[in-house]
Amino acid sequence: MSDDYGHDDHPSPWGPHDWGHGAPHNSFAPLILSIGVGLFLLMVGGLFTFGEFDGRYLPMVFVALAVIAAAIVVWWRQDMSFDGSYEPRARGVPFKNIQIRKVGVWVFLMSEMMIFSSLFSTYMRYRQGIPRCDTIFESGDWVEGVAVNCFEPASQLIASSWWHIAPGAINTFALIISSFTIVQALRWAHKPVGSVDEDVRRKRIYRYLGATWCLATLFLTLKMIEWFIGFHVPEIGFLGIHEHEIHSLYSEGYLINNDHYQAHHYIDEATGAHMVANIQVSASLFYVTTGTHGLHVFGGIIGLSYLTYKAWTGAYNPQSAVSIEYFGLYWHFVDLVWVLVFPFFYLY
Amino acid sequence: MERSTVSRRLVLISLLAMAMIVVPAVTSLPSGISGVKDTGCNCHGTEASPSVTASISGLPETYNASETYAVTVSFTGGPSTDGNANLGGFNLWASDGTLATLDSSAQLWSPNEASHTTEGNDQRSWNLEWIAPDSGVDVEFILHTNSVNGNEGDSGSSGDEWDRAQTTVLGFGPNVLPDADPFKVLATLIIISTVLLSIIVLYVFYRNNPDGFEWARFAPWITEWLTSTDHKKIGTLYFVQGLFFLGVGGIMALMIRVQLSSPGNDFITQEYYNQFFTLHGTTMIFLAAMPLIAGFANWIVPLQIGAPDLAFPRLNALSFWLQPVAALLIFTGVFSGAGADTGWTGYAPYVVSENTHAGVSMWAAGQIMLVASSTLTGINFLTTIAVMRSPGMGWFQMPLFTWSILVANLMLFLSIPAFGVGLIQVYLDRTIGTGFYDVAAGGDPLLWSHLFWYFGHPEVYVVIVPAFGVISEVIATSARRSIFGYKSMVYAMAGIGLVSFIVYGHHMFTSGMSPTLRFVTMLTTMLVAVPTGIKIFNWLKTMHGGSLVYRTHTLWTLGFLVTFTLGGISGMFFPSMAMDVHLHETYFVVAHFHYVLVGGTVFGFFAAIYYWYPKMTGRMLDERLGVLHFLTAFISYNALFWPMHRLGVVGMIRRTHTYYITTDDIQALPEWAADWNMLISMSAFLFFASNLLLVVNMIKSLVRGEKAPADPWGGWSFEWMTSSPPPTPSFDPHNLPMLKDANEHVANEPGRLGQMFRRLMVSDDAPEEGSH
Repeated sequence: MSDDYGHDDHPSPWGPHDWGHGAPHNSFAPLILSIGVGLFLLMVGGLFTFGEFDGRYLPMVFVALAVIAAAIVVWWRQDMSFDGSYEPRARGVPFKNIQIRKVGVWVFLMSEMMIFSSLFSTYMRYRQGIPRCDTIFESGDWVEGVAVNCFEPASQLIASSWWHIAPGAINTFALIISSFTIVQALRWAHKPVGSVDEDVRRKRIYRYLGATWCLATLFLTLKMIEWFIGFHVPEIGFLGIHEHEIHSLYSEGYLINNDHYQAHHYIDEATGAHMVANIQVSASLFYVTTGTHGLHVFGGIIGLSYLTYKAWTGAYNPQSAVSIEYFGLYWHFVDLVWVLVFPFFYLY
Repeated sequence: MERSTVSRRLVLISLLAMAMIVVPAVTSLPSGISGVKDTGCNCHGTEASPSVTASISGLPETYNASETYAVTVSFTGGPSTDGNANLGGFNLWASDGTLATLDSSAQLWSPNEASHTTEGNDQRSWNLEWIAPDSGVDVEFILHTNSVNGNEGDSGSSGDEWDRAQTTVLGFGPNVLPDADPFKVLATLIIISTVLLSIIVLYVFYRNNPDGFEWARFAPWITEWLTSTDHKKIGTLYFVQGLFFLGVGGIMALMIRVQLSSPGNDFITQEYYNQFFTLHGTTMIFLAAMPLIAGFANWIVPLQIGAPDLAFPRLNALSFWLQPVAALLIFTGVFSGAGADTGWTGYAPYVVSENTHAGVSMWAAGQIMLVASSTLTGINFLTTIAVMRSPGMGWFQMPLFTWSILVANLMLFLSIPAFGVGLIQVYLDRTIGTGFYDVAAGGDPLLWSHLFWYFGHPEVYVVIVPAFGVISEVIATSARRSIFGYKSMVYAMAGIGLVSFIVYGHHMFTSGMSPTLRFVTMLTTMLVAVPTGIKIFNWLKTMHGGSLVYRTHTLWTLGFLVTFTLGGISGMFFPSMAMDVHLHETYFVVAHFHYVLVGGTVFGFFAAIYYWYPKMTGRMLDERLGVLHFLTAFISYNALFWPMHRLGVVGMIRRTHTYYITTDDIQALPEWAADWNMLISMSAFLFFASNLLLVVNMIKSLVRGEKAPADPWGGWSFEWMTSSPPPTPSFDPHNLPMLKDANEHVANEPGRLGQMFRRLMVSDDAPEEGSH
């Protein structure tokens, strides 16, 4: 559509945008994305009902995910042509001359902070309000076979041995290093034109972004190992390490719907009695809070895929470098949240 | 569950089959036979004999629950007899219900299986009884009969012939309606709404240009609406959605009022009443009020601050399109008869209980999408207002409507994530089975109330503060003077925004929350009256110092001042804990929040429609119809909600589907309460009908309205400087308007906050405007 000021361009609602013009850029992406999200929530509602699984809805869940993916592809296709030459800047105080999108990211992070605050509020409410399982166990105020409502922090399992905590610990360092690599990508993009060979710049940027991508993927992989898979520790004689198995949280029965949780550390050695606990609330808190963080990491991986691809095409230069910075702000925030989640859910 | 019984049955059958192979049937022919329903009478031969015909009679085609039917089983034919009587035995199996014997010729192995006895071994027909189940499922009957030739001894079974008969009695269907298949519900919904929508859209397109009605011209036109990122088009879409759902919510309210018009009424059952009442609240707040506000904010804010568009036009489109899809999800349950029945507050633990309707999950899902939509809107407006004000417009040169949108979005933005997290917890509880609000597992229902009202109270200010902005604009223009006490208006709004976060406890006085917290929120709630009072007095003072022009929007504004003040005064009863405990569960509360939400928000936005409609469409609205609309609506509105105060004081309980006036019941109301309720219901219909005048007016002026000038009311903010309707983009990005002001130097100098941000944020020395 031509606008009312004589700028005549016809951007397709599917295709790349012509960012140099002020005319509105039509896009199908918002409509498709909304439909995809709605379909996804509807079909997940069919897939699970109060914990009961109904596989008939599984294909439609994948259809919904495909719709969402299609919308993201349309969105990116339109963004690929953005080269930073039309980066609008703030006009008034207090943000004068700062890029509008950067202000937008900061505002967005405000709401992210509120999301994690709410999750932590929930955590604190239950951590304070429900007695801990080990306290109850030691007080002897339980009867074998009758489930006790109590709070079992995941740290009871995770912090029980160095091997058990290893995935979480490696993850922490993976995220910290990934914060470093993303900044390196930005640094290389920022180097003034002429001071560096353009091909070297291109390679450095996409390799650093690729490294960030790999670290984020490592994070999620280790999380899956810790939650569902577990791992095997080999015999390393000279270090005094004996062959043993590290069980996943799943196989230890640390589950959102487990109202008959029987841990090996809740066996009374004197009588051999086994305390049974209802840990639904504490397990829900653990999985949902760390899972929300994991979803943010997953979102970061999606964003990084786009950045890495765009960097591979050589699109980043001092003029457009700031796009990496916007992502970096989000990524630092995700790291920072992990720095809070890790001690609260893994150590304490 | 069905699958497990099937597999259990399979196991049983195979066990039986194995037992029969290993050991010959333990029950020999003369004393009855059991366990043959799948194998047949294989001791008399592997195949059924064609010469024998077994039959069951006396069974109905469709049974009634728990009714008793006389069943006769018999056979004809059989082997030739060697001088013996041609007699036999039977085995009857029924998949459900209870079999009973009538005489000693038959015996029961189980309620599902019957056979002959030794005594009944010499007959060809047997009489039994079958008591139908009450579950309503189809029942299968399998009969085996054996026709014997009468040879005795070890080989007594040889030469006998048998037959099998099978029949099915249809059930009457389950007692309770099954939850509808979401696929079918969604498909039906999509088909119906698509057809309706296409008809309307085609008509609008046809109306625009009856001669050019062809696909090649229609396709780009509709694509433009579906994909537009222009703030004016999205604003219009929001506006249409908001008005549509205002009508839908209104119709639900009318159903509720019909039900309540007389005591002990059963027009709609309690089950449906709960759904209507839940969806009335959810629709009005999230699908009507919020989109109307977002619609006006989209339209007017960029025009008022001199910005070509919002900061993130595509995110803005996403904010809008999430809403209709969310509305589909929220209404999904309704069409299957299993809509959300939790109240719009969705209190735990009921909201996660399995007794609720299946629609509650989708109600939560839809609201999660609305939370996402509001968050994106918040990002957009906060950024736009902070960074895209035209040159010369400092914070304190911003028009008050823009200020109100800024304050409202700040409140919404900082509170809605709590609601979102609560909803996700509810959604996960209801789907994958987490235990956040599972009381049996130690979950705390009060936590949901905290998360909800931490959002919920700022939310009610989110819907009223933009109305304050509208009223400030309209009163200043109509009184032909600048608003009295501009700065105090801004500080009052900011004060309301600030206080809104620490008052939410007053919704939970009766929930058993800590008394200290109750006392604190009691004081802070009373504090809200101060900034609100400042605003009211400023409006009065603006009129006092000006010279009022009575346009329709002025009338609505005056109406707003009356009704909102009344609503505010009735609101002052609730912070007092003792009063609240008495009035909490009564219609006094209903009266209060309808006075502020209808008399405040809706009246404010009616004023906004009459005020900005010429700017948005380029057509003037009919003033005479407008005045008629105002008079009928204002009178019927007050007749509708004012009596509720009195009903509340005498103890009419809210949230229930009916009430009683006679009897010695302690909850019965005095007899006149029925008359008042009838008046309320009649006024409700009048109020609904009077608002149709607005719809008629809007359509009429679209078709043949007078052309509107750029500034029909003599307003002086930026939106009146553009043409009606404004161009696209609303201002030329290369030639933005400039606000000249006596205090310009103050506006352009960074204040204390600005200097602080400057130190915090790295600013490159890039050119002022990045565009070429």
